Amino acid sequence: MPISLNYLLKRTAWIFLVVVGVVIFSYMAIILSPGDPAVKWAGNPRGPNASLAIELARRELGLDKPLFIQVIKFVADVFTGNIGLSIAYKIPVFDVIMRRLVATLELLFVTYLIAIPLGVFLGIRSAIHRNGRLDTVLQSLGTVLANTPTFWLGAWLFLTLVLLGAYPYGRVDPKIATSTGFHPITGFYLIDSLIEGNLLVFTNVLSKIIPPAIAISIYPLGVLIRLTRALASDALLEDYIRASVAWGVSRSVIIWRYALKAITPGLVQVIGLAFAYSLVDAMAVEYVVFGREGLGSLLVDSLNYSDFRLAVGLVIVVAVFYLLVNTLTDIIQALIDPKVRL
Amino acid sequence: MTWRVRRYVFVGVLILFIIVVGSITYYYVSTPPTTRQRVVVYAYNDRITGIDPSIEDDTGLVIIGLVYEQLLRYNPLTNKLEPVLAVAWNSSEDGTEWVFRLREGVVFHDGTPLNATAVKLSIERARDVYRETGRGAGYIWEAVTDVEVVDEYTIKIKLEYPQRLDLLVAATYAAYIFSPKALSSSGASSYLDKKLESWFNSGNEAGSGPYTIEYYRPDSEVRLKKFDKWWGWSLVNNTRAPDYVIVKILPDPQSQYNGLISGEIDIASSVPRDYVSLLLSKGFKVHNLTSYHNYLLFFNVRRYPTNITEFRKAIACSLNLEEAVKLAMKGFGLRGSGIVPHGFPGFTEGLYYECGLSEAMQYLNESGVQLPVRIELLYQVDYEETRIFAEMLQSRLKDLNIDLVLNPQPWSQLKEIAKGVWENPDESPHLVIADWWPTIPSPYDYLYTMFHSDSKEWNFAGYEDEEFEELIDRAWELEGTNYSEALNLYKEAQVKLFNEAVGINLWDEVRPFIHNARVELPDECMNPLYMYVIYFQYVRVGT
Repeated sequence: MPISLNYLLKRTAWIFLVVVGVVIFSYMAIILSPGDPAVKWAGNPRGPNASLAIELARRELGLDKPLFIQVIKFVADVFTGNIGLSIAYKIPVFDVIMRRLVATLELLFVTYLIAIPLGVFLGIRSAIHRNGRLDTVLQSLGTVLANTPTFWLGAWLFLTLVLLGAYPYGRVDPKIATSTGFHPITGFYLIDSLIEGNLLVFTNVLSKIIPPAIAISIYPLGVLIRLTRALASDALLEDYIRASVAWGVSRSVIIWRYALKAITPGLVQVIGLAFAYSLVDAMAVEYVVFGREGLGSLLVDSLNYSDFRLAVGLVIVVAVFYLLVNTLTDIIQALIDPKVRL
Repeated sequence: MTWRVRRYVFVGVLILFIIVVGSITYYYVSTPPTTRQRVVVYAYNDRITGIDPSIEDDTGLVIIGLVYEQLLRYNPLTNKLEPVLAVAWNSSEDGTEWVFRLREGVVFHDGTPLNATAVKLSIERARDVYRETGRGAGYIWEAVTDVEVVDEYTIKIKLEYPQRLDLLVAATYAAYIFSPKALSSSGASSYLDKKLESWFNSGNEAGSGPYTIEYYRPDSEVRLKKFDKWWGWSLVNNTRAPDYVIVKILPDPQSQYNGLISGEIDIASSVPRDYVSLLLSKGFKVHNLTSYHNYLLFFNVRRYPTNITEFRKAIACSLNLEEAVKLAMKGFGLRGSGIVPHGFPGFTEGLYYECGLSEAMQYLNESGVQLPVRIELLYQVDYEETRIFAEMLQSRLKDLNIDLVLNPQPWSQLKEIAKGVWENPDESPHLVIADWWPTIPSPYDYLYTMFHSDSKEWNFAGYEDEEFEELIDRAWELEGTNYSEALNLYKEAQVKLFNEAVGINLWDEVRPFIHNARVELPDECMNPLYMYVIYFQYVRVGT
């Protein structure tokens, strides 16, 4: 087994420490910034007893305690799974975040369904035509894509589609969803609509997810084109590839079986890093440009409403997501690359 | 098969696949649903902050107003009350005892019939939650000493002092009646148990209104379904009322505009005002609602130099509110007069400053303030109209040698800074712009909340004046016995505020609700007291 218990324990301890640090830092940053969560928790009270309501709310939220006690209590709440209700929406923080996380993950999956095959395919084409005209074009394309601001491309794409009469806004047309009786099960609308056999909703969701997915995919696409090219170029010069050519093994087998297998561990590592990075990209684009519910809009809302529970919950989710993706990447690499041991 | 041939086959299959998937997608996306259900999508511009019928005091009204009902509803056109769950009502001569006769045959969405016990529970819960915690608008029941169930359909309410209880039962908040079964459904041990509040705010409901909640996501979408057993369907006689209403949360006005154009949204509450005429030219229709939502400019009367009446009047004179309505509100507003908005009980015509920069200069000289002087204006960052107004004011005050520093803040920060006028007046801004809409159809709502010294959470002027407070407190008590005299006192109080230039009502908002031709919005579907609630039982929809 390439993964040792020692590695798993160390990684778990590391995740634990990072989460504690993230909770302490983000809690203090939000609580010390202007805005009074107690006012929102009390429901913006208007009556003569408004001050009482705010005072009680402050007590209920524990904001009347010294800051270090607040922090300790909040860290304990996080690790006992008891962050409580969102201050803005009065429903459990966990529910709000999970719903939005699922929406963002669905978008990221589609993004990588576009970016991985296309990036690897174009990268390998580039490697095959090393130093040729196609290689130059693809390498330039990769550089441009990796450096194009996602937000700008998203806005441009959205406006173009709106001018063409399409409306890639939101996750699904509410009228179509309601009139066809669509009821989300997992929260992944593409999967849910297929489970329910609701092709109308499926195609509608697909038409709304592809434009933002294209916008977010440009960064991983650019990176993958360039990296696949570099890795594949080296792999194609290896002795066993030359030997295969000499033995008359077909070109497609050499490229898509031998070379691709050789470069997969490196690709997995980069895809892992890019996937975590794309979460931030998705948060910036999904709501502001495409009006999709997701983690991005939630973070903005939570800060506007001084909803520290939601804000810290979100920061934790993002931090854990990064750590898990990195850990998963390491594990996958260890499983597919015999040289790697954890 | 050679590698090259296989490659061509692969590319061919791929192209074919894209064409097939593209065609299917195009067909389904461009083909409207074949169902006969009437679905209406209403774009609302704010997140839902809660739907507890006794406690919610904010944006949840847009849902509560369709799911729950009060005993009576206020009609702003006639200034009269209309029966909803109560069909008859009367009060004792001294205004301290009110009897309401309830409508028979009403059922809540959970199947429980409406009776006097449900009314008693609803009123007592709103009142007691407020008494215990200060939350919600239960202060409207503050004078209620006893709610007595006379019989199944009659309820008697006793008051500590005379009040217009018929106006209070029609309040925007805290006046909604819910089914007693909510207690057992939520597992709450009493109506003060937090479990009941959590149950409501999780998307459950126990109302009797024309729509029920089918799907509740306060951050993005709420789906309401027609309640076929609603008592009022035979009265409204509208066979084209929507079967489903989707309240779509879209805070961005541009998104609402795009949604209208694409056909995904039927009614928009908040498109950019600049776009209204463009939309009308494209065949959309508008329903202009003259609302009770107004924007007020508060002067910090505890800090130099806005503690000087003449200085405040100089600023008041420099305002050109007609121009402000035109530029900041793009014409969708009425210049304010007094504090209370147009059409609201107690509205007073003629209480606006008809003076210009020369009079302003004169007031400045009288104030004795050394120029140039620097003052600060605090306003809400996400209101485009207040930003435009703030910049206008900044430019006009420059002509008076007053340097106005603009301080835009999100709402929660604004409120925290503005209420600091009571504790640290010298560190609080000189001017604050805030908006207001009422809970009850009484001028007391505006005057008490924003200018009484007991209301330190909302009195951003830091104003404290015994004479003013006595006037409005007396008017409030008189409402129950001598309504016209009470209105006179409210006018007197507004004249006093006007003469002292403590706060200025900049404008009353006229809100354009834009809708497509598929939907008809008759006048009765909107009511300025219940802001943003569209009574969909009156709305007619094509399939």
